[in-house]
Amino acid sequence: MTAQQTIVTGVPAATGEKVAQMDRPAVETRVLEEIAEDVRDVIGEEYAFDMKITMDTSFSEDLELESIEFVALADRLRERYGDAVDFVGFLATRDVDQVINMRVGEVVEFVVDSQPTPATTGSI
Amino acid sequence: MSEIVANDVRLHVQRIGPPGGAGTDIPTVVMLHGMVMDNMSSFYLSLGTYLADAGCDVICYDLRGHGRSERTPEGYRLTDSLADLTGLLDELGVDQPVHLVGNSYGATMALAYGLEHGERVASLTLIEPPFLLEGLGEEMARSLSQILAAMSDDEVEQWLQQAAGRVAGRATRSARRLLQETTIAGDMLATQPFSTEALGRLAMPVLVVYGENSDIVDQAETLTSVIPDTTLVVLAHHTHMVLREATGYLRELMRWWLFEDRGTEPPVYVPRTERRFETPRWVTDMVPPPDLNTPRPAAAAEGGRG
Repeated sequence: MTAQQTIVTGVPAATGEKVAQMDRPAVETRVLEEIAEDVRDVIGEEYAFDMKITMDTSFSEDLELESIEFVALADRLRERYGDAVDFVGFLATRDVDQVINMRVGEVVEFVVDSQPTPATTGSI
Repeated sequence: MSEIVANDVRLHVQRIGPPGGAGTDIPTVVMLHGMVMDNMSSFYLSLGTYLADAGCDVICYDLRGHGRSERTPEGYRLTDSLADLTGLLDELGVDQPVHLVGNSYGATMALAYGLEHGERVASLTLIEPPFLLEGLGEEMARSLSQILAAMSDDEVEQWLQQAAGRVAGRATRSARRLLQETTIAGDMLATQPFSTEALGRLAMPVLVVYGENSDIVDQAETLTSVIPDTTLVVLAHHTHMVLREATGYLRELMRWWLFEDRGTEPPVYVPRTERRFETPRWVTDMVPPPDLNTPRPAAAAEGGRG
């Protein structure tokens, strides 16, 4: 392995200096794409693959996500982002209705806000 | 981790803990949801994430045939449910006594588990447990048959085809498949009556919660009279759906139960007067009414029981 090798994960901070140069909208766009991918995967139906998922998309009204699907989504996001993003703590402050009625953007913003200050290196 | 094979059944499991991971000396809490129109999400999103954040090692799983767990054609007797739980704890390597928290059928199951495997249980929290000393199996079977009859109506089919949204439709279809394609309703008949003597020897502390407006609140008296160490909390203005209706209070109550000195009084419940619960919307709250056919199903889904 060389010093140039970079750990590539779903966590933008892990990409090191490139992230430091990214502006927030760019990071949000990337996280939105990642979360949208997991949402479509969890739903697993054609309508979800056809649907445009934006920051304003509602989990309940637009996506008609079942609460058990939300649990499955949370599981995937925990796996994707690891300990850097405390989803359990995020969900613990909301009741069931507040979770189900969230918009995708709230989760995206939480993920982006959870990123540590971009590391000076993502190398191994 | 989300799937574990236990007792030869594929179970959907979520184990969550406090930030930084679970230490060795924190309470392990296992949550057991209700029957047919329920799954682990009702606990995961209400008490699960909250208690994990508060410092518990929380295990939620979908019971056999429910949620994202395997729908086996048979194996729905209470004894099977207990064996599934034992298999799950073994697979997860949980060897310390756990705090079981059950809702509705899950509460009855928790009580049965405490009787059968007392050495593996630190405490029981029973939210709205159906509890009868005689005829419990018959009552549960009758209840499931009633739900199946209500769901098999032509009007329900029409509603599913035309008016039901995705969430209500999937929940209803899933429940109907469980009732039609498995032995669950008949298996309830095999439920053995609780032994009064055994209940009288139950060693662990038991927290019992009912809603004052629940149709089974009368069962609290017998339950708390036969079990030695019970703490009974009856919540004014609430129904059988108290887990969903009074989530905020139950979070406080569970935190007290798991972390505070048992010599202290439980937190005081102050009803939120602006929101009284008489009858919840049946689909979203997961209990279809016995009078589903009147009013029309679509109207029932929209407006509740009445």
